[in-house]
Amino acid sequence: MSNRTIPRLLQTPAVLLLLFWMLVPLGMTLFFSFIRYFLNNTRRPEWTSPSIDNWRGFGNYQYVWNQDAFWLAIQNSLLIVCSILFLTVALGIAIAVLINRSFPGRGIVRVLLISPFFVMPAVNAVLWINMLLDPVLGLQGIAVANINDVILGLRDAPLVGGFFSLWPKFEPISFRATQTSAYAVIMMVTWQWTPFAVLIFMTSLQSEDQQQKEAAVLDGAGAWSQFRFLTLPHLGRPIAIVVMIQAIFHLSLYAEIEIVSRGNGNKNLPYYIGELVNNNIGAASATGIFAVILANIVAIFLLRMVGKTLME
Amino acid sequence: MAIVAQHSKFSKIAMPVLAWVVALIFFFPIFYMLLTSFKTDADAVKPEFLFSFTPTLENYTNMTDNYDYWRFASNSVITSVSATIFALVVGVPCAYAMAFDPSRGTKDILMWMLSTKMLPAAAVLYPMIFLTKSIGLFDTHFLVIMVLSLINLPIVIWMLFTYFKDIPKDIIEAGKMDGLNTWGEIKEILIPLAWGGIASTALLTFIFCWNEAYWTVRLTTIDAATLSKLIEGNRAPEGLFFGRLSAVSTAAVGPIVVLGWFCQKQLVQGLTFGAVK
Amino acid sequence: MGRIVLENVSKSFGDTQVIPPLSLTIEDGEFAVFVGPSGCGKSTLLRLIAGLEEVSGGSIVIDGTEVADVPPAKRGLAMVFQSYALYPHMTVRKNIAFPLRMAKMTQSDIDARVNQAASVLNLNDYLERKPGQLSGGQRQRVAIGRAIVREPSAFLFDEPLSNLDAALRVGMRMEILELHNKLETTMIYVTHDQVEAMTMANKIVVLRAGVIEQVGSPLELYRSPRNKFVASFIGSPKMNIFEGDEAKKHNAHSIGIRPEHIDVVKSNGEWQGTVGVAEHLGSDTFFHIHNTGLSEILTVRAIGDVNLRNGDTIHLNPRADDFHRFDEKGLRIT
Repeated sequence: MSNRTIPRLLQTPAVLLLLFWMLVPLGMTLFFSFIRYFLNNTRRPEWTSPSIDNWRGFGNYQYVWNQDAFWLAIQNSLLIVCSILFLTVALGIAIAVLINRSFPGRGIVRVLLISPFFVMPAVNAVLWINMLLDPVLGLQGIAVANINDVILGLRDAPLVGGFFSLWPKFEPISFRATQTSAYAVIMMVTWQWTPFAVLIFMTSLQSEDQQQKEAAVLDGAGAWSQFRFLTLPHLGRPIAIVVMIQAIFHLSLYAEIEIVSRGNGNKNLPYYIGELVNNNIGAASATGIFAVILANIVAIFLLRMVGKTLME
Repeated sequence: MAIVAQHSKFSKIAMPVLAWVVALIFFFPIFYMLLTSFKTDADAVKPEFLFSFTPTLENYTNMTDNYDYWRFASNSVITSVSATIFALVVGVPCAYAMAFDPSRGTKDILMWMLSTKMLPAAAVLYPMIFLTKSIGLFDTHFLVIMVLSLINLPIVIWMLFTYFKDIPKDIIEAGKMDGLNTWGEIKEILIPLAWGGIASTALLTFIFCWNEAYWTVRLTTIDAATLSKLIEGNRAPEGLFFGRLSAVSTAAVGPIVVLGWFCQKQLVQGLTFGAVK
Repeated sequence: MGRIVLENVSKSFGDTQVIPPLSLTIEDGEFAVFVGPSGCGKSTLLRLIAGLEEVSGGSIVIDGTEVADVPPAKRGLAMVFQSYALYPHMTVRKNIAFPLRMAKMTQSDIDARVNQAASVLNLNDYLERKPGQLSGGQRQRVAIGRAIVREPSAFLFDEPLSNLDAALRVGMRMEILELHNKLETTMIYVTHDQVEAMTMANKIVVLRAGVIEQVGSPLELYRSPRNKFVASFIGSPKMNIFEGDEAKKHNAHSIGIRPEHIDVVKSNGEWQGTVGVAEHLGSDTFFHIHNTGLSEILTVRAIGDVNLRNGDTIHLNPRADDFHRFDEKGLRIT
């Protein structure tokens, strides 16, 4: 047996499985995106089965392209992803620097900080939208009600009462509403993924060259200059990786959106596809292809960066 | 070192305090969920009862009646464990061959595998529903196991590959000289040497499978439904059942969060595909 | 037994041929050293013999058997790796016993052989330790022990001493030589260090870019190098080689002379120059000399301490019988 046969044989199952997993459903999506295909259509029953006879060309793409809901979904996707990215990276760097040096209880702090990352997304969403953010019964509602009570009490107080009577009554925010559900999603996902950013930045900070820092101190660099000119450039690559990995994960957010708004709030691209799948398969597939293109734009950069370190 | 160690009083005292405050804030939602799980449904929504309440275990003892928790939990265990094992069985030989017998195509194959991970799931949602329903696999354990192991297979192979690459090739070749065949090399040398790496890969894969919330929700209804599906199905009780919902949520994430504490390091490697060290 | 015959053996990785067809015979009981600069294919050649790489063409015959299709473990060879390649999860005893276990020997036979090897190599006190707890030299011995117990027809060493510090290296060199004297088994030894080659081999194979430049005993190679490459590779310090008028005087394209074959004289030497760096070792003095008109730097070795310093003028007499003459292609003219 040739030297090369056995290694090939060992790789075959994995390659075949992934090949099947990628090609078959994607091929079907591609096909469906070019035909008229509905699950229910009493007017044109022939459109309810996937057949080459119902060829529509780029019609589905055109249809989706002209839907306001599609563009809204893209807009929401980008809003959610970009906000999360900005927040997690900023918080992640700040916290990573904060806990980079050892202090009493650092191990426990790390454990507490990383915990949100392991909470399953469904629980995360249920926890936040109900127990924490519910305008009446959640912590938010309770907190707002308490603050209002305190202010109300202070109005009768001598001297300062007149001042507090000018204060308005605070209104809790309902995060299930159309315009605010995205913020709830951003909040909960940021909570979940900041630990991930912290962990990666911390790992990276540990590998920072201490002698380089000492040299910088001798050259007269202060704490801020050290951070700005040594630490931040050192973190450049991890930041890029955190951004791209999260982008790929968050472009396909689904459970959080579903749980927060049940379709009444800001829909992102996967959620929009999920709705189209209930009937208009052709349009859903065309939207799916758009989603693939969007994800690939990010993926190409990530792959290139990962590829460089691969064989080191 | 002495120079760098000269920090201001601010950083010596304020930074640790700040770090503790931030950590507690981040952990608070989990703590709050845990706290609420020991309250009755009625206590859970009373503002004045934030800390003063009579703890009760009834939410946990009633989990089976309220939610049929154990059925979903056992589905989660079955699918996550099986998917992890299957991914390792397929992934170990593949990563072994790639690490010790790389050909010029190896890098491309690895990159391609990674790219499958980046395919948005929603894009292939309907074909998956269509296919699985037409061959009768919809809502079966087998389907969930296959899907979970396939979506994690690229990460499994990547992680194992980076671990295996650290094993000197000489040792494998010495094994060859000493009379091992391929299976012997894997069994006698590779697995004992890379045991730590394989175990943490398994742990991380298990966590990812457990938490998966797209396919497990969309491709199951009852028979193979996992905890994600259970929670998602009870997503909006409008404050009625905060106590019992907290209990079932805590039960769903508790073990995983604890497991997660033990594989923080591997998490970095697994999620960045070895690009951050 | 351990006669290894390579006939037109070649090796390519993809489109790049690292070893063009090459033939070589290593006799039973010989200590053969493959030596050459890094990347010359010496390790690849060893791995081809071991069976860790597949030959692209030609045949390898060990004791009369063609081994192209024989897996490494069945070729009756044992190999000692540069990194020792000990199994870190096994004790020393298990490491040494491993090949025997794979060969399905009985436990009592295994024990007997392991104990014997351990006493030959002074490893008795370490048998229950893991490799991580051993020093570099001890690990090296374990690796050799793992090779010995198989009672192979030939030992293959792949730069086995390069991870040891200088003092240990000299000691291990002696141990390996003594082992060879005791076992009288064929040994093939790869190194980039020509001193190791000269001191250990009874047959040196000089390789460059996969091609055998010369095969011979150490002194043959020293006295009559077949070409300029071998001439400058064997011997330390390197042979002085230069072209020009001096070479023409000897009817050659270029000529070479070893540093130890140039005498330092008080005055009226055939050559003269300015001392650059002078290395005074006590037993010898090495001069690096400028402005000789022969080559940029001329290296000369003088016996004992010669009191000349940087900037001094030095007078030299080359020994006429010890010139090596080379033609345009760099080949020796006899």
